[in-house]
Amino acid sequence: MEAPPDNDVLWARSLHFRHPDGSPGLAGVALAVRDGEIVAVTGPRGSGKTTLLRCLSGLVPVRHGEVWFNSTPLHTLGPMRREQLRRERFSWIDPAPALVPELNAWENVALPLMLRGVGRRRAKVAALEWLVRLDVGDKCRNRPHALQQAERQRVSIARALATAPTILFADEPTAPLHRGDRTQVLRTLTSAARSHGITVVLATHDPETAAQADRSVHLLDGRSVRTLHLPDVPDTEGRVAWSLSV
Amino acid sequence: MVALRLTRSARPAVQLRRLLVAAASAGTGFLLLSCLGYALNHPGSASAAALRLAWCTVPLAATGYLALAVARTDPGARPRPGLSAVGLGPARLMAVSALTTALSCSLGSLLALLVFLHLRGDLTGMPFDGAAADVLAAGRHLPGPATLTLLALPPAVASAAVALALRPKDPGPATPAHRTYGRFGAFGHSVARETFGTCARFGARLARRPTPADEPTSLGRSEGLRQSAGGRTAGAAPVGADGTPSAPGSATGIQPPGTPAPAGATGLQPPSAPAPGSATGPTPPPPGSAGTPAPDADWSDLTAKPPREAPAGLPWGIALLASGLTAQAYADRSSLGVLAGWLLTTTGLVLAAPGLTHVCGWLLQSTRPGALRLLAGRVLMTEATRIGRPLGVVCAVASAGFAMTTLYTGSAPAFGPLTTFGTLLVAGCTVATLVTAAVETRQCRAGTTAALLRLGAPATLLRMAVAIRAAALLAFFGPLTLGVAALAALPVTR
Repeated sequence: MEAPPDNDVLWARSLHFRHPDGSPGLAGVALAVRDGEIVAVTGPRGSGKTTLLRCLSGLVPVRHGEVWFNSTPLHTLGPMRREQLRRERFSWIDPAPALVPELNAWENVALPLMLRGVGRRRAKVAALEWLVRLDVGDKCRNRPHALQQAERQRVSIARALATAPTILFADEPTAPLHRGDRTQVLRTLTSAARSHGITVVLATHDPETAAQADRSVHLLDGRSVRTLHLPDVPDTEGRVAWSLSV
Repeated sequence: MVALRLTRSARPAVQLRRLLVAAASAGTGFLLLSCLGYALNHPGSASAAALRLAWCTVPLAATGYLALAVARTDPGARPRPGLSAVGLGPARLMAVSALTTALSCSLGSLLALLVFLHLRGDLTGMPFDGAAADVLAAGRHLPGPATLTLLALPPAVASAAVALALRPKDPGPATPAHRTYGRFGAFGHSVARETFGTCARFGARLARRPTPADEPTSLGRSEGLRQSAGGRTAGAAPVGADGTPSAPGSATGIQPPGTPAPAGATGLQPPSAPAPGSATGPTPPPPGSAGTPAPDADWSDLTAKPPREAPAGLPWGIALLASGLTAQAYADRSSLGVLAGWLLTTTGLVLAAPGLTHVCGWLLQSTRPGALRLLAGRVLMTEATRIGRPLGVVCAVASAGFAMTTLYTGSAPAFGPLTTFGTLLVAGCTVATLVTAAVETRQCRAGTTAALLRLGAPATLLRMAVAIRAAALLAFFGPLTLGVAALAALPVTR
């Protein structure tokens, strides 16, 4: 059954963005994300995935077009209000784990909770729970430099999930990892999001990663396109004849 | 030419810092030339002139320190991938950095020469009715080579310091993260044994290179770490495999000394574990198994380098400080003992300041901190060496100035204009170095700050953290400086 349209938690209409140096970023993207959905934004490198996520999460101001979050117009909000929204409603996962190097793993996870005003004890409990869930619970007292890259990325995913955000923006969260780590990280992320009803907007250029999402939005040169790859050409007899002739 | 282009196209803040270096170099050059003028005017008193020249080493050192700090913050001379691709690697950038420093210092020297000649009256007659004629040897012929030698000193010292400090260092093989407690004499480990008090010995951390005997140790320890961490490794492990679950504390990898060590070279290598050669074979092991535990290289990116633990110089610094104060207390007033005491005190302050900064940060983040105190304290602990060194120098200079003013108020040899100028120069240089070190810290933490802002951390919180850090340092080091100065001036005033 098709969900009613007022179930959308985040939507963008005719979103245009031009980078400060004048290079084109987005050219008329329209997007609607339903509550609790995992949407993959796919496309090759340089197609504007990160720019779209930055626009949607309010990291950059939107001048042309509209971005609505739960009937809040993001494109009209000032930087302070957007920062508050980012702190209290959104989470962000970087392609590389951007942890605070001075804090250990659980303090890193508890930091956004403490920024929201949660007490230290409750923040610690929540952080440790999430670390255990993401299989880095035994290294909760290690500093980031003592962890491996996959563990660091899992810690940053725990940091993004610990605040129970409404929307989680994940910008190529599995890019720097090997395939085995990549599958595990992605599976933990998607299962945690599904079990907690967190909406995820996931930018990736990997079709395998995009297959874990409910729905895919394809971007190409800053435009949203229906089919990113051309359909496979069925085997024609000419090709067979040509290959046989060699 | 590249150096000039990189120098020219910099932001105003960077140019301002270079101008500061030029100004410091100008001041130092002027002081050196004044010494020359004194020597020319008093050919009989060679020792007094030599003493004046010797005192010029203090502003010279301050200028070199400032130039070094400015070169470290120079974005033009930072290794960048684009320039490295066209062949302008770290070595050439070091040369560019040294050249830029030499350029700004030479500018300052030229300025000093112009001012000196103007004050002597060589250019446009005597200014100020010849008030400075005595010091500057107005009527005499100025020897050219001596002038050039003296004026070349600040650029040479600053460039040499910059080149020496910024020379490219290869990220060597990874040093083992933790110390070893091996059997007595096993495989030459008696050399690397930790004896009592080694942790505080000066230089104990500087020249620690991994010996070949350390390599299997790090392998074996990482094996144990893996075992205790996830239990996902293949192969038996001595630590924790005999049914005793590893305590969380053992995740740090230090085997308790009481544990019976299994057979093996270092007491940590499991006998059934694969040899390092087979583990790091040509085929990479599958992820999650006991693969290549030892990293092949140290951190090449210095910003990602793990933060050093507590600076080790604190006990030495305090000992030197105390002995210096004692030496001053028991020395005669006009003897060399006072000078030696001052040297000891200054060295002690500079050595102890990083450790004290670390203690400051530790106090800030202790007892259940929230986000603000956590960020402020931990950053202070991490940046203890970078901030603490210039802070210690500032404290030393401030306490010296305080004690000197206490000593000389009302007594016979009041401050001459040149002494005042030199004192102000040294104080300005050290304060500028401290500010530059703060700028360097901010540059190094730019990535973390951006990540925090992406996270939604309010910018006011980050500013508050900076303010708290500054206030804590001021509250800690201000009374310390005053106390040291009061103690140093005590034996004279009583």
